Amino acid sequence: MKAEQFQVVQEETLDQFILHVSGELDLSVVPQLRTALEPVMNRTDKALILNLKQLKYIDSTGIGIIVSVLKLRDELKAPFFVREIPAAVKRLFDLTGISRYLTEGTEAQA
Amino acid sequence: MNAIRLQIPAHADYIDLVRICLFGIASKMNYAYEDMEDMKVAVSEACNNAVIHGSYDADGNVIDISFEPVNSGLTIKVKNNGTSTLVEEAIEKAAPLPEVEVSGLKVGGLGIYLMQALMDEVEVNTSDSGTEVVLTKYLNVAAGH
Repeated sequence: MKAEQFQVVQEETLDQFILHVSGELDLSVVPQLRTALEPVMNRTDKALILNLKQLKYIDSTGIGIIVSVLKLRDELKAPFFVREIPAAVKRLFDLTGISRYLTEGTEAQA
Repeated sequence: MNAIRLQIPAHADYIDLVRICLFGIASKMNYAYEDMEDMKVAVSEACNNAVIHGSYDADGNVIDISFEPVNSGLTIKVKNNGTSTLVEEAIEKAAPLPEVEVSGLKVGGLGIYLMQALMDEVEVNTSDSGTEVVLTKYLNVAAGH
């Protein structure tokens, strides 16, 4: 098992902010993810997308952050999508019940 | 006793080492990949609680983790010197997210629920010296190879 370093890479398109999250998202990197989210999560002019394709690990601390972003974007009435959820992560999303609140929004990707 | 013990500083930066250690032990015991992933999350949740609710006044605050192969599988004990009332109360209330509007969702409180959902046995022992979370995952011999 190789512990991959947590990393957030931001991509900006005409109508989207895409955060590519990779590595292990645990308690130790919560401040790092919050810092990455801060400048974009209040922007109502663009959709916010979390791409989890390279995410190797998540626990309740990471899921808690996604819940807080969901709530904020709902309040702002701004679009928020979580894309390319790996199977192991999806299982935890299903168990905790967050899945039913998440939109993949793949049709908007093109 | 054939326990394998690990002691880490009670800080989030060291929890990945607990996962790496657990992965090594569980691999050697021939656990299925999915079961190892389950244990990784559950043990991390126990450590998260120990870090967040551990006592702040004590210098050299540590978390003791003990991996104990038992007949039914693997028992992992996570012990720290924090207060226990929070954990005991939380165990009774642990639940997944309710089916409500997004605005009604609460942030947090999913860690203990995940421990319960991912492990076969979850026990919390409290004493004057601290809190111990005992997690057991059964090893399905037939599913091994």
